[in-house]
Amino acid sequence: MKYAIPVLFLALPLAAQEIKMPPGLDKLAAKASEVVDVSLDGALLQLASRFLSEKDPDEAHVKQLVGGLKGVYVKSFEFDEGNQYNQADIDEFRAQFRPPLWSRIVGARSKKNGENSEVFLKTENNQITGLAVIATEPKELTIVNIIGSIRPEDLRDLGGHMGIPKIDVGGDKKKTEKKDKEDDEK
Amino acid sequence: MKFASFVLCLAGASSLQAAEREFSDVVRVISEEFHTRPTSIPFFGLVNVFTETLRPAGARHIDLAVFEHLSDRDRDGRNLMESVQNAVGRSWKPFIKVRSLKTGAEETVLVYMRQEGRDWRLLVTSVERDEATVLQLRLNAEALVQWINDPEHHALRWHGEIGE
Repeated sequence: MKYAIPVLFLALPLAAQEIKMPPGLDKLAAKASEVVDVSLDGALLQLASRFLSEKDPDEAHVKQLVGGLKGVYVKSFEFDEGNQYNQADIDEFRAQFRPPLWSRIVGARSKKNGENSEVFLKTENNQITGLAVIATEPKELTIVNIIGSIRPEDLRDLGGHMGIPKIDVGGDKKKTEKKDKEDDEK
Repeated sequence: MKFASFVLCLAGASSLQAAEREFSDVVRVISEEFHTRPTSIPFFGLVNVFTETLRPAGARHIDLAVFEHLSDRDRDGRNLMESVQNAVGRSWKPFIKVRSLKTGAEETVLVYMRQEGRDWRLLVTSVERDEATVLQLRLNAEALVQWINDPEHHALRWHGEIGE
């Protein structure tokens, strides 16, 4: 019993992340040519948001979005060759997003270039409390877990910030391309 | 009351010691892996005399170790990312971890940050093909944000303070 309280406190940060990364993903790091792992918890997110300018409309919008977030976790792998990751690991990760809490809102599959994207939304008491993205390409795998109040359409604006990749959620390709072009010019 | 002050002093001292230990342990890990020592930076000690007095851009203390002319031939071949994480300790997790082999050589970046009272402590370890850098920075976020938002005004004010 005397260990119960310390163990509970130790478990709190783990509970905040909620979604478990499959153990197989860590083994993937050895095969990948690049691995990026971003873990931003509440305090760091708030600090990061303070560095976003309120004068720049884009940054001000991102700042407002970040205000409602409790955590951003991104894991990204890039490989030199195709078919390096195991579909079973992705399936194991995907299996966590079950109704009634989670619902899949986007599922895009391209046979042409082998790109797949899935977006899952977590809803509690009619409030969005989390979002998860699985984006796969033959030589790339990205998993994003955002905890907090976020709308799917906000993903596009958060893309490119805090390790979150640019993701076209609403299929508004022209708008995304325009934003990408603007970001590149900056 | 005396006891409480004593405990607070001890806690402060041990936190400072931990900060020193984490930085020097990471430097030691890189030194042992590449069988070399960090490049000596002349008068670097003076930097902290200025930093702790003037606190430019919110910085309060800087530790820096630079390794140059590293070679894969001298390496022990350990998993550097794991060794650095073990040296820092598992209780402090990096918020950014990057490992890249894209340039043909292993590049590792680990960024740690945590709040310590009103300050933030940042520990960055970057190991590239032939050089490595370990940077530890204690800074006041509020002052840094003000500096970033209005660098010209703060630079002028800082210049004025130097002139006084």
